[in-house]
Amino acid sequence: MKIMIRNLLACLVSAVLFSGVAMADRTPAPENAYLYVGWPNDGEVVPANRPFRVWFGLRNMGVAPKGACVPNTGHHHLLIDTDLPPLDQEIPSDRNHIHFGAGQTETTIELPPGTHTLQLLMADCNHVPHDPPVYSTKKTIYVR
Amino acid sequence: MLLTRTVAVVVLLAVSSVMAFAAERTPAPKNAVVYIIWPPDGAVIRGGKLWVRMGLRNAGVAPKGVCMSNTGHHHLLIDTDLPSFDVEIPSDRQHLHFGGGQTEARLEDLTPGKHTLQLLLADCNHVPHDPPLYSKKITITVPPY
Repeated sequence: MKIMIRNLLACLVSAVLFSGVAMADRTPAPENAYLYVGWPNDGEVVPANRPFRVWFGLRNMGVAPKGACVPNTGHHHLLIDTDLPPLDQEIPSDRNHIHFGAGQTETTIELPPGTHTLQLLMADCNHVPHDPPVYSTKKTIYVR
Repeated sequence: MLLTRTVAVVVLLAVSSVMAFAAERTPAPKNAVVYIIWPPDGAVIRGGKLWVRMGLRNAGVAPKGVCMSNTGHHHLLIDTDLPSFDVEIPSDRQHLHFGGGQTEARLEDLTPGKHTLQLLLADCNHVPHDPPLYSKKITITVPPY
C-alpha cells in the first residue's frame, strides 16, 4: 500500500513537473486575443460542389508565417469536422487540420454534401498552440 | 560635344536610378487581392467607432521585418490618397501601419462626417509591392453624435 502511494505520488509529481516544462515551452498569447470564423456563419447552408470562401477573423493579435517567431503573432489552422487537438504539441497536418503557414487570412474549400464543422486554432511559429490557446467557436454548416 | 556627353551621362544615371528603384521593390504575389471585408462602401457608422476587417487573397500576412515572398503587411489609409509607391509609406494618423501582422484595425476617433478608407499592402520594409497592392477606396459616414 505504501509503495503504491509512493508510486502514485511520484507519478503525480513527475506529471506536474513535465506539464510545467511543456507549459514553459509554449508561446504566450495576448489575454484579449480573439479568433473567429468570419464567414460562413453558424448554421449557414452552402451549395454543394462549389468552392466557398472562409475568412479568418483575428483581433488583438497578428499573423506571421510559420518559422517567423514574432511576439503576439501566430498562423491560422482550420479544423474541419474534428475537435481541438492536444494543445501542448504540434497541430497535426492532414485533411482535417489545414495549416496556413504562409500567413494566409482566408481560404477556399469545397466539402461533400452533409453537415460539417469549422473551427480555427492559432499556433506559434512551430505549429504549437499558444498559452492560453487561441481558438474560435466551432461552427456547423450544411452543404447541400 | 562635352555638353551632349554630360547630358547622356545624366540621363543614364537617372535611368539606372529608376531601374534600381524598380529592382528594389518586392514583386507582388501573383493574383493577390487586397480588399476591405468590412465596412462596406457607403456604410453609416454611428458613434465613429468600428473594427475595419482587412482582407487579403492569394497572399499572406507577415509582420514588418519578416521578409518572405508572397507576404506583406497592411496599411490603412484614412482620408487620404495613395502615397508614392517607390518609398516607405508615411506613418501618421492618416497612414496606419499594422506591422504586427494585424488583420483588423480598431478606429475610435472618427469625427462626424464622411471619411475614406483604403488599404495598401507593403513589404517588410514598408515599401509597396511592384505592382502595388491596394484596395478600392470606400467612403463611410459618421452621423452627428
